[in-house]
Amino acid sequence: MSSVDIVLAGLLVSALRSAAPLLLALLGECLTQRVGRINLGLEGQMLVGAVAGYATVAATGSPWLGLAGGAVAGALLSTVFGWLTVAAGANAFASGLAVWMLGLGLSAYLGTAFVGVRIEGFPLWIGGLTPTVALALVLVPLTALWLFRTRSGLRWRAVGESEHSARALGIVPWRVALSGIVVGGLFSGLGGAALSIDITRTWAEGMTAGRGLVAVGLVIVARWNPWLCLPAALLFGLGEALALRLQAADSAVAAHLLHMLPYAVSLLVFTLTCASLRRDPRSGGAPAGLRAVFER
Amino acid sequence: MITNRRLGLAAIAAALTLPAFAAQAAPPTIGYIYVGPEKDFGYNTSMDVGRQFVQKNLPGTKTLHVENIPETAEVEKVMERMIRSGARIIFATSYGYLDYAISLGKKYPKVAFLHAGGLKTGANVGTYWANSDDAMYLAGMAAGAVSKSGKLGFIGAFPIPQVVRSINAFTLGAQSVNPQVTTTVVWTGGWLLPPKEAEAANSLIDAGIDVIGGQVDSPMTYAQTAEKRGVHVVGKDVDVSHLAPKAVLTGASWNWGPMMLKLVKEIEAGTWKPSHVRGDMKDGTVVLDKFGPAVPEAARKTILAKKEEILANKFKVWAGPLTTQDGKPLLAAGAPMPMEQLESMQFFVKGVIGTVK
Repeated sequence: MSSVDIVLAGLLVSALRSAAPLLLALLGECLTQRVGRINLGLEGQMLVGAVAGYATVAATGSPWLGLAGGAVAGALLSTVFGWLTVAAGANAFASGLAVWMLGLGLSAYLGTAFVGVRIEGFPLWIGGLTPTVALALVLVPLTALWLFRTRSGLRWRAVGESEHSARALGIVPWRVALSGIVVGGLFSGLGGAALSIDITRTWAEGMTAGRGLVAVGLVIVARWNPWLCLPAALLFGLGEALALRLQAADSAVAAHLLHMLPYAVSLLVFTLTCASLRRDPRSGGAPAGLRAVFER
Repeated sequence: MITNRRLGLAAIAAALTLPAFAAQAAPPTIGYIYVGPEKDFGYNTSMDVGRQFVQKNLPGTKTLHVENIPETAEVEKVMERMIRSGARIIFATSYGYLDYAISLGKKYPKVAFLHAGGLKTGANVGTYWANSDDAMYLAGMAAGAVSKSGKLGFIGAFPIPQVVRSINAFTLGAQSVNPQVTTTVVWTGGWLLPPKEAEAANSLIDAGIDVIGGQVDSPMTYAQTAEKRGVHVVGKDVDVSHLAPKAVLTGASWNWGPMMLKLVKEIEAGTWKPSHVRGDMKDGTVVLDKFGPAVPEAARKTILAKKEEILANKFKVWAGPLTTQDGKPLLAAGAPMPMEQLESMQFFVKGVIGTVK
């Protein structure tokens, strides 16, 4: 095998594996921001999803039930964020950070019993792909079609643009906002469970290592569009896969620099996106109601 | 009154002439600081098992432990908090804690600091570590014997001497069985990053590597990835064969308890002098894990024979002839490697593919 072969062998599959949990969380946050909310608690929801999913598989032996358990746990934790911001009207950033810390502590506490516990994950499909990668890929068109082509999707977008106008149309904005937050929690919990059950078959404290936060940032790169969530997540996954594969191929680049690659790539795309936004502000796709988050 | 004053003066005189570490009557309070979660099924768990051993074998001892403390000024605050809570002995169990322990040692001359693996001491700061190179060498022999491609991989957290040594010992052991063996190194840039460890293992496997060694916080993630993909691993710090029964060949695990207990007893008896205390496979601080089913009978015999040679001081891993990665001679035949050179190792031996950067 030449160095080039080593880098390219399974690169796409590797990028997809790295991207899948992130993509799930990203789709969730995309929907949450579409109803005009920003949830920094994503990181905590992913962790709670990861530990709940792992525990469910340890108890039942079924990775499918594990994914469901993770999704439910993520959704449950997101209701705390929903209650704080929608019902109590608390600041979104402070509430998000609180939920993040709550999820981090809760998952670490509940997870101690599951460190080093063996579970049976999904079997490998041809080419090293797994059901969670397929699930994440399938959810991209489903989410996009639902958001852009259905009546309820339109109602969500209406609330995200302007709660006042939505109310005038007979929509109850707080219900839609809460739904957006809880569905975001469901997706992020699913992403966390995919990471623990399938990608790593490991539960370890704080194992998401910032992926939830990356997802919050990547929503901007994806321009609040579920279709674009796929390339945004893939870019990050590709960066991570390359950083490891270049080392396996004995590239002379220092490992410290390679580990910055996924972030550098995301930042580059982010900068280019913003530059194009300046030329044509309407191309951004940010829900107008999102501005309210910064004023609340 | 006079006798009292005399006694007082005598006590002051005695206090002035006594060494900093006088024999103590009451059982001590001991503080332990971990860089990661105490239940990480890896390095930190091994240190915590040591703490529990000390607690169990020294009745009345109180141990404090704090997990997830980064290698920053925060560790200083944690140590000071422990000292205020009565800790007389502090185990600073992570490499990056050393300078903080040294500077706090000057501020608190009556507290004994024990640092894991450092190369500096102070008036009241000593280090403890164990040489797991022998066991890594033997584990490397198993890897060399089982590998069909002759291509081994190694997943390391950071290029620090403790990890570089493991990689070299692992490679030398494998080469003693099959001289053509190479070891490809991938750094993850963190002690506990399961998603990266899984992908690092995948990238090595995709490059045709069929036995993976590693030194990150816990071998559990790369072992399970190897089990899933049908290749083999060598463990480090804790035995994870129950997680990957087919994949695990063997491993080098820690057993810190007896060494920690001995140090605490010395400090309490007032006989301790800060130094670099080092254990190894001979005194039981390092254990070669049991063999997995994939290691053939003939290889087991060769490995165990080599283990006996090591235990009988007839074989040394770090002795010449040794050549660096780029072919420069490092040690002449039969020459031993000095401890300082060993513990500051920043080079790879011939056959390792990767950079110490």
